[in-house]
Amino acid sequence: MSAVAALGAVSGVIAPSPVSTALSPGVSASGGADFANVLGQGLANLQDTQTHADQLGVQAATGDLTDVHDFMIASTQAQLATDLTVTLRNKALESFNEIMRMQA
Amino acid sequence: MTVFQAIGTAGSGVTVYRKWLDAVSDNIANLNTVRATSQSAYQAEQVIATPMADGTGVQVGGTRLGSAVGRLVYEPGHALADARGYVRYPEIDLGEQMGELIMAQRGYQANLSVVDRAREAYQSALQLGRGA
Repeated sequence: MSAVAALGAVSGVIAPSPVSTALSPGVSASGGADFANVLGQGLANLQDTQTHADQLGVQAATGDLTDVHDFMIASTQAQLATDLTVTLRNKALESFNEIMRMQA
Repeated sequence: MTVFQAIGTAGSGVTVYRKWLDAVSDNIANLNTVRATSQSAYQAEQVIATPMADGTGVQVGGTRLGSAVGRLVYEPGHALADARGYVRYPEIDLGEQMGELIMAQRGYQANLSVVDRAREAYQSALQLGRGA
């Protein structure tokens, strides 16, 4: 749920919106704060996924792991979540740089 | 529902098939577990799979135990034989267990294939964000 919401929120921030709504009081400022929240939540989710994979990795090392595939699946999910977060961050940074380039 | 749900769903299937494999191996290991006629026979284990309530995979709902009566075999030389020379063998058919073994193995592999394909699919989706 969170990733889809994040993508929606990101496109909402990046997509050019009509001038009237962009200039209405509070919208542009809160829009920037929303993206920070979204990215923060995404990072928190990523942290949870990584922690789960780490715990299973410790279990595998100590011989407490009951299911081999659990660790493999958790590490796959952690890798995908990292990829997703990094891609989102790169896209956001790219957009930001594009906007900053307007001043030049 | 999490971000990469298909992987977690297939993972629950792998867990169920792993437990089925455990049950089959336990049954085959105890194929010749003899008991005295005064005791109940080793009961074959059968894993019951039930779908998750929220539609995110499958889980083991319980284990059904087979016949406790087993079958009586005339082995007067056996240490556990009763006065009439009978012992109690478990009611397990090796052929049936072998069939279940193949099904459990193939199911395990099929679910892992789903995990692999889902990972590839998600990575393709992430490629969208990597384009210049």
